[in-house]
Amino acid sequence: MESTNVLMAGFGGQGMLLAGKVLAHAAMAEGKEVSWLPSYGPEMRGGTANVTVCVAARPIASPLITTPQALMVMNLPSLEKFAPKVMEGGLIVVNTSLVHRDPKREDCTVVKVDARHVAGLAGTERAANFVMLGAYVAASGVVAPESVEREIENEFTGRKAKHVPANIAAFRAGVDAGRDVQETAAQEQDA
Amino acid sequence: MTKVLMKGNEALGEAAIRAGCVHFFGYPITPQTEVPEYLVKRLPEVGGTFVQAESEIASINMIYGAAGTGVKCLTSSSSPGISLMAEGLSYIAACELPCVLINIMRAGPGLGGILPAQSDYHQATRGHGHGDYQLIVLAPASVQEAVDLMTLAFELSETYRNPVMVCADGMIGQMMEPVEFPTEGRGEPMADNDWALTGSEGRERRIVNSLYLSPEDLDAHNRKLKAKYDLIAEKEVRHELYGETESPDLLLVAFGTMARICKSAIDDLQAGGAKVALFRPITLKPWPYAACREAMDLLPADAPVLNVEMSMGQLIDDVRLAGEGSRRVEFLGAAGGVVPTPEQVAAKIRELLP
Amino acid sequence: MGYIRIERAVCKGCGRCIIACPKDLIEFSEEINERGYQVVTYKGSPEECGGCTLCAVACPDLGIETWNNRGKQTFTVTTGLTEKMTHYCPGCTHGVVHRIVAEVLNELGLIGRAIGVAPVGCSVLAYEYFNFDMFEAAHGRAPAVATGAKRARPDTIVFTYQGDGDLASIGGNEILHTANRGEKITVIFLNNAIYGMTGGQMAPTTMPGQRTTTSPFGRDVEDTGMPIKVAELLSSLTTPAYIARGSAHDSKHSVRLKKMIKTAFQHQADGRCFSFVEVLSTCPTNWGLSPNEASAWVADAMMDYYPLGVIKEPAKEPATAPAKA
Ligand SMILES: Cc1ncc(C[n+]2csc(CCOP(=O)(O)OP(=O)(O)O)c2C)c(N)n1
Ligand code: SF4
Ligand code: SF4
Ligand SMILES: [Mg+2]
Repeated sequence: MESTNVLMAGFGGQGMLLAGKVLAHAAMAEGKEVSWLPSYGPEMRGGTANVTVCVAARPIASPLITTPQALMVMNLPSLEKFAPKVMEGGLIVVNTSLVHRDPKREDCTVVKVDARHVAGLAGTERAANFVMLGAYVAASGVVAPESVEREIENEFTGRKAKHVPANIAAFRAGVDAGRDVQETAAQEQDA
Repeated sequence: MTKVLMKGNEALGEAAIRAGCVHFFGYPITPQTEVPEYLVKRLPEVGGTFVQAESEIASINMIYGAAGTGVKCLTSSSSPGISLMAEGLSYIAACELPCVLINIMRAGPGLGGILPAQSDYHQATRGHGHGDYQLIVLAPASVQEAVDLMTLAFELSETYRNPVMVCADGMIGQMMEPVEFPTEGRGEPMADNDWALTGSEGRERRIVNSLYLSPEDLDAHNRKLKAKYDLIAEKEVRHELYGETESPDLLLVAFGTMARICKSAIDDLQAGGAKVALFRPITLKPWPYAACREAMDLLPADAPVLNVEMSMGQLIDDVRLAGEGSRRVEFLGAAGGVVPTPEQVAAKIRELLP
Repeated sequence: MGYIRIERAVCKGCGRCIIACPKDLIEFSEEINERGYQVVTYKGSPEECGGCTLCAVACPDLGIETWNNRGKQTFTVTTGLTEKMTHYCPGCTHGVVHRIVAEVLNELGLIGRAIGVAPVGCSVLAYEYFNFDMFEAAHGRAPAVATGAKRARPDTIVFTYQGDGDLASIGGNEILHTANRGEKITVIFLNNAIYGMTGGQMAPTTMPGQRTTTSPFGRDVEDTGMPIKVAELLSSLTTPAYIARGSAHDSKHSVRLKKMIKTAFQHQADGRCFSFVEVLSTCPTNWGLSPNEASAWVADAMMDYYPLGVIKEPAKEPATAPAKA
């Protein structure tokens, strides 16, 4: 992998910034160059929040990405805003718990995950962000899933440590969802 | 030393402590608020002082007071807040007090917006308060460089007894990147000196003042300041040359975040054989005129220079001064928090290449 | 039988109306609206609602209109506000105070003469919502801008709308001198004990021990002093005409608040000098509380320290002029 990047977008409070941070840490632990660039604005709930994470073998020139290679969307406004901007042949991970519309990008690999539902089964609906991250990591191969799991452990410490198992379970469920899609895509290509 | 992933604003705060600064005075403003939010937690751990001022006017005058007693001190703000510091900066520079201030620029004028911009370039390099004084202005292009320049800022401010501004845009303040700090723990305090107000017991009393009733004395004071600025200009200019540095067909000039975006454009075009260089001033004041002129002289006779900035034509003044009329200087810019993309820069380069 | 109409597209799911209804007739529905909020719904039978308006008065987002038993509309959305949905967080009482100011100006027939000055703070976009002439001022400087406007055009009704960071911190100088000069303007001062817009830093009005991002271990009054009681502080000046403090945290108090704001504007309309109303307000987002918890916090933690009531008013003019001695 020379370099890759992903735009993660959703409502504020849906945990995209955190998922991005965990991904950046995981890539950094693997010895890669990273940047994490959030959208920022007045602290207001309900607004949209997004973050761009770049991962590369060489120092990152511009952290500002206008045509991301991958997109992770938690809500409809983000899908409508960013799906048209994804690079040709890119990857789009969609949270179907809240987004019922198709990205309308025939050229892209689209991974659909009912993130809230999957997270609920894993222990907490609040970990939908890590389900999405798992799907992205599996479908893109940007980092090893184990690296992310270690960083989830590092992220939730002290009083928050009790959230580790549910978040890791959610992440793994996401990895499975992403991997299924990748395998089907590979089979379709073989056929 | 290990790398840590840190937000630019937090890294700037930590770098100040590593440089020996444990006195912070500031007022919240987006997109720099993480500087005070970080330091309010961190300073008590190193025996430091944190004061949330009632305004930036107060912050800069608290700095005047702290710097006047010979301690390393820091304030931090963003564009509208820096405007309010204009008067204080003039006094501090007049009194030759060392201090560091951070400007995490956002888009103006007026209340403008909170997104990244470089539109305080003139303010930083020429503007702010009244009178014949200069700041030293350092412009990082990454979180790591922000840390490195913070360290330098405290050194320069002490050496030259002058306020130093670290001038970055909102993107560098908000972005997380891996950083390595040059030193561990809290750095050294300011060395003893013969000007700080510490209580006059056992010595002649000292006065921190900028009032000169005699015009001859004020003239002499200004000449002394001028000599200092000339010395700084001679010794402290810094820049980077990137890309095709042997015989480029086009030279870009940009600083901070914009320079990084230009680098992406250059990297993308290099594959196609385009020979493009980037000149990046790291010190915005003093400006590296001679080095920039040398870079321009690498170009073929009639090749243009492309000035790229996140403002409407401010940096370009210095690029023209460097060229002294020898070059056509083209302009690409954007304002309001709109950041020119690598693709837009590349398109403009293609348009200009022979 | 009375009834209410809930505008589901507007509802931010703050739940304030649920608490406000004295008959417990409102609840959350399953529906999530376009903007991602879980909206409320009427759960009672038709006869139960009397159209008392308390839910509508509690709603910061003009999400409810009400009708009484005789089919008469008891709460109508004021035309003093534009139709734009506010950017405020769910349950933020900025919306309530906007509504009251607009209603008062409307009821006093002053809309056509009004000039408002928005601050820098969460209410910076107030000019998007107030449906009359508006300035946007630099952080803290609104009273000076208002002074300029009122002196230049004495026939207008000029007011500032300012937060506690804006008015009591960076703008401390302007408010003091504007009040002391007795400028014939009205100031609506929103005290939510925090800097909302910049993400929850300490304000001069932050309560002792209150955690904010710049008082992460709780406000230490040894280091930062006690919260400023702006209404009392300004009352120590001789010049100002009217100074009061109300609260917007629940419907009952909002009704009283409206009377104060009306009196304040009436004084200006009558040509009397400086009138000022401080409003205790909520910032659920930066307090880390739900909207209804935030309202309870105003009552429990703020109201003792910031007592409500009229603090200063013009001496009553005698009904008949005293006979010359
Ligand atoms: C000169 C200047 N300094 C700082 C800021 C940043 N700033 C914007 S709003 C604000 C505080 C707002 O708090 P408050 O007045 O209490 O209003 P609220 O958001 O709580 O309603 C600050 C510090 C600014 N815009 N201009
Ligand atoms: S008060 Fe208004 S915004 Fe809040 S839940 Fe009720 S209708 Fe919705
Ligand atoms: S941050 Fe606080 S004051 Fe600002 S809109 Fe949200 S709740 Fe209201
Ligand atoms: Mg406030």
